[in-house]
Amino acid sequence: MLSFNFLDLFQGITTLISSPPTILFGRLGLIFLGAVLLYLGKKGVLEPLLMIPMGLGMIAVNAGVLFLDPTTATHIVSGTAAGPDAAATQQLAAQAASGHLPGTLFMSPLVEKTDSLMYLMQVDFLQPIYTFAFSNGLIACFVFMGIGVLLDVGFVIARPFLSMFLALAAELGTVVTFPIAIALGLNPGEAASIAMVGGADGPMVLFTSLTLAKHLFVPITVVAYLYLGLTYGGYPYLIRLLVPAKLRGLKMPPKPMVKVTSDEKLAFSVVGCAVLCLLFPSAAPLFLSLFVGVAVRESGLKYFIAVIDGPILYGATMFLGLLLGVLCEASTILDPKVLLLLVLGIIALLLSGVGGLLGGYAAYFFSGRKINPVIGIAGVSCVPSTAKVAQKEVSNVSPDSLILPEALGANICGVITSAILTGIYITIIPLLGK
Amino acid sequence: MKNAIVLALTVYGLAAVISMFVAVLIKGLFIAVRRLSR
Repeated sequence: MLSFNFLDLFQGITTLISSPPTILFGRLGLIFLGAVLLYLGKKGVLEPLLMIPMGLGMIAVNAGVLFLDPTTATHIVSGTAAGPDAAATQQLAAQAASGHLPGTLFMSPLVEKTDSLMYLMQVDFLQPIYTFAFSNGLIACFVFMGIGVLLDVGFVIARPFLSMFLALAAELGTVVTFPIAIALGLNPGEAASIAMVGGADGPMVLFTSLTLAKHLFVPITVVAYLYLGLTYGGYPYLIRLLVPAKLRGLKMPPKPMVKVTSDEKLAFSVVGCAVLCLLFPSAAPLFLSLFVGVAVRESGLKYFIAVIDGPILYGATMFLGLLLGVLCEASTILDPKVLLLLVLGIIALLLSGVGGLLGGYAAYFFSGRKINPVIGIAGVSCVPSTAKVAQKEVSNVSPDSLILPEALGANICGVITSAILTGIYITIIPLLGK
Repeated sequence: MKNAIVLALTVYGLAAVISMFVAVLIKGLFIAVRRLSR
């Protein structure tokens, strides 16, 4: 009679109970966290476009662990760059050969060797998207292209100096977190990657960490997107803490709105793209993606706008969320540095918010107390969340006070300054080792 | 640590110079395009 172990039928449970306690509780904790993210996304507390696929991905990848067949497992072990512990690598290889290596059929993010990658692309259903769109930054560029189509650069062209000054002030966290991270034991590449969370721009963090700290890009990107979702909920408290109600309600004197034509906006996108690519070729894919979005919008190419604004932006966002969720598999994400990254990420965003408001105060004093300091928070480039947060906080105190045009100008410049800082970090950090 | 602070300040300084250069460029370009189109 045929006999088999009953638990082999339900390998998700078998792998759970046979794993070490850290992985067991890690998997259970991440399944619970996935459900929480999904719930908060549905309730609108966090960004639903990202959190719903991400939450479900986290649940599925941590529940769906099985014992991989020896061929697949061997490809995963041999295709991954060997760690410093040779004995541990040998033990993994033996485990893989005996068919007792736990894994999933989603993707294997740490595999680098081409032969193994080609094999795994025929096994893991998300591996092709991960290899061809995620790990080379294409998905980040798609999101940036979509942001470009949504941006009206007329707000920047109308008040470039104020917008750029506020955006620069709101990069405080991106700069100050770097030495803090170094002091806490991270290397320069890791420190710069986590510091970029202060720029509040998901694609930038993804791009920087893929370039400078590939081994930590999973936890860094996950931390970044989690916190970016929280800015909408957290920054109003920061504004109320640092700006008294009297100043929050300050009405800015009406200024005739400068009419900027689409030709002028197009000229800006052409020259801006050329200059920034000349200065930072390593971040040129990001600059091109952003400005191609702006150029398409200003050229009135309605079919292109429909493609970028629809399938490209939302398709990329959905797969970004799904891949981020699937990357949160317990054995991949439970790195001892994750707690440190969580702390540094919140420091970076908090300091950027404070820096933005300090910039707002500086603008308030230099303008003869005419500019509402709350605009400063919009320099944090979480387009358009922080601009909307600024307007909402002002409207709560003074319903007929309008700061949105200036706030959007600072917001768009925030994207540009974040891209500039990304370019500087990914150019300078590799030179340090030379 | 001291090196990290110096590097952070250098990065911020560079970012400030480039950002303001971009702002000048935007303003200059805006004025130039406006004059040329008259």
